[in-house]
Amino acid sequence: MAVMTTEKRAVSAPAKAGSEPAGRVRAELRDLQISFRLPDMSTLDVISGISMTVSEGEFVAVVGPSGSGKSTILRALCGLLKPSGGHVAVDGVPVSSPPPGVGFMFQKDALLPWRTVAGNIRVGAELGGMPAEEHEERIGRLVKLLRLDGFENAWPNQLSGGMRQRVSLGRLLAYQPSLMLMDEPFGALDYQTKIAMGKELLSVWEAERRAIIFVTHDIEEAVALADRVVVFSARPARIVADYKVDLPRPRHMRAMRSDPAFTMLTEAIWADLALPS
Amino acid sequence: MVFTRTNDASEPTKAGRGSRISSPLPGQVALILFLLVLWELASYYLYNPFWGSRPSLIAQRLWQLAISGDLWMHTSTTLQEAGAGLLFAAVVGVPIGIGLARAPRLARLLDPVIMGLYGLPRVALAPLFILWFGIGLFSKIMMSFTMVLFIFILNVMEGIRTIDKDQLDLMTSMRAGRFYVVWTVLLPAIVPWILASFRIGVGLALIGAVVGELIGSNRGLGWYVESSGGQLDTTGVFSGLIVLMVLAMLANYLIGFMERKIVRWR
Ligand SMILES: Nc1ncnc2c1ncn2[C@@H]1O[C@H](COP(=O)(O)OP(=O)(O)OP(=O)(O)O)[C@@H](O)[C@H]1O
Ligand SMILES: [Mg+2]
Repeated sequence: MAVMTTEKRAVSAPAKAGSEPAGRVRAELRDLQISFRLPDMSTLDVISGISMTVSEGEFVAVVGPSGSGKSTILRALCGLLKPSGGHVAVDGVPVSSPPPGVGFMFQKDALLPWRTVAGNIRVGAELGGMPAEEHEERIGRLVKLLRLDGFENAWPNQLSGGMRQRVSLGRLLAYQPSLMLMDEPFGALDYQTKIAMGKELLSVWEAERRAIIFVTHDIEEAVALADRVVVFSARPARIVADYKVDLPRPRHMRAMRSDPAFTMLTEAIWADLALPS
Repeated sequence: MVFTRTNDASEPTKAGRGSRISSPLPGQVALILFLLVLWELASYYLYNPFWGSRPSLIAQRLWQLAISGDLWMHTSTTLQEAGAGLLFAAVVGVPIGIGLARAPRLARLLDPVIMGLYGLPRVALAPLFILWFGIGLFSKIMMSFTMVLFIFILNVMEGIRTIDKDQLDLMTSMRAGRFYVVWTVLLPAIVPWILASFRIGVGLALIGAVVGELIGSNRGLGWYVESSGGQLDTTGVFSGLIVLMVLAMLANYLIGFMERKIVRWR
């Protein structure tokens, strides 16, 4: 594995236009170790020593090879999985059970087949503690935002994969988490919808300043959306690089693609992942 | 006998909008009529109706039984026995199934016992039940109950086992309370399995009731079949069997209808 090992963290990066300087630490991983006991009693080291922090209002993308442990890290952050070593904290509190305000959008949509589109989004509203009389209005707005108009009463098995993913995103947004863990949320979307959803996510994020950890396989998507891109190595995962994305916001997909900074960054990540060019 | 149908209602149309495929009912009725005519003809040309009766005789007999009120008396007796047994099995079996699914250690401990009882030919228990519970309704209810109980237990356990683990994890990640998870995930997930248990259970419950009646009773369709047989009255035997068959079919349709109404998301 000829991966680059230098950490390229731009420590003293200037604050970007329109965003606060790095604030309170929301999520912290320190020297995280995770291994699984396999059925044949051998152990599989998935994460071996990862440290990173995510601050208030920060949008962090995580890229890395398949099976490197990206989903596993998100599970550890929301208390679904106990690490074998190291330290996981959200808002300074060590995570032992799911912390409040943390929303997880799974790689699989995990919709409830017996609830309609609106019903599935309502799960988020119900569990997010939103007053019941605001549910309808909120769900209506999310349905529109996610372009699911006309499908409010459809059952999940009547939806396409991309639509299901949008419903899952709707449920996450209805939960109103202040830290969003998103596991390849746009993986099943076509290019146009992906761009559109990315824009919507950014507008939600810019308006409400939530912290986001966004796992993706799409390098351009990571650079286009995030403040930082963290690159994982193959299993056992280490952090290969941690890039600050200094592209101005609001971001315009079209214009950005011809920005040399954008191209350079995607090229660099490309090289980190040791992808053939 | 019992008709269990796997409902794979794969309707591609959006709920409430699409047109339905033409009903299979006319074809089904035509087929049944055709078979009855064949039977009738065979009884004239192929065999002596003493052995196998014939549809016209059976129809006559059913008409007489209906007029005298006996038909209703026997039918309602058997229906009560099978229905009570079925409901009782649901009421007992569903909680047991849920409990065992949530306590896998206990389930593993009990597994040989459950599978042993499940594998036992429970119709053979009938004489014992008559002895224990008398020749009244109760022994037949218990027969139906034992026939169906395991269907509910095993189906509900399987239903819970097939719940998507991600759905439960998602609930956990959003800090859902126990009651919320039961209400929004667990119960909706097992409803189709409970309805399927009813569909399979109807036939078994009828078998339980009828077997109980065959062994010891003074009324019910099983008793009527048994006593007709004792008098070498094949028309009576077939009349009872046909009523039982129609009951099983009707119950099956009713439950199928309920399944489509309740489990609309399939
Ligand atoms: N419960 C588990 N038991 C055993 N091994 C597991 C378990 N969960 C994950 N793993 C293993 O951990 C490794 C990392 O899994 P993870 O799902 O985190 O990968 P990922 O980076 O999200 O991959 P992808 O991009 O394909 O989604 C995989 O090799 C997987 O087999
Ligand atoms: Mg993953």
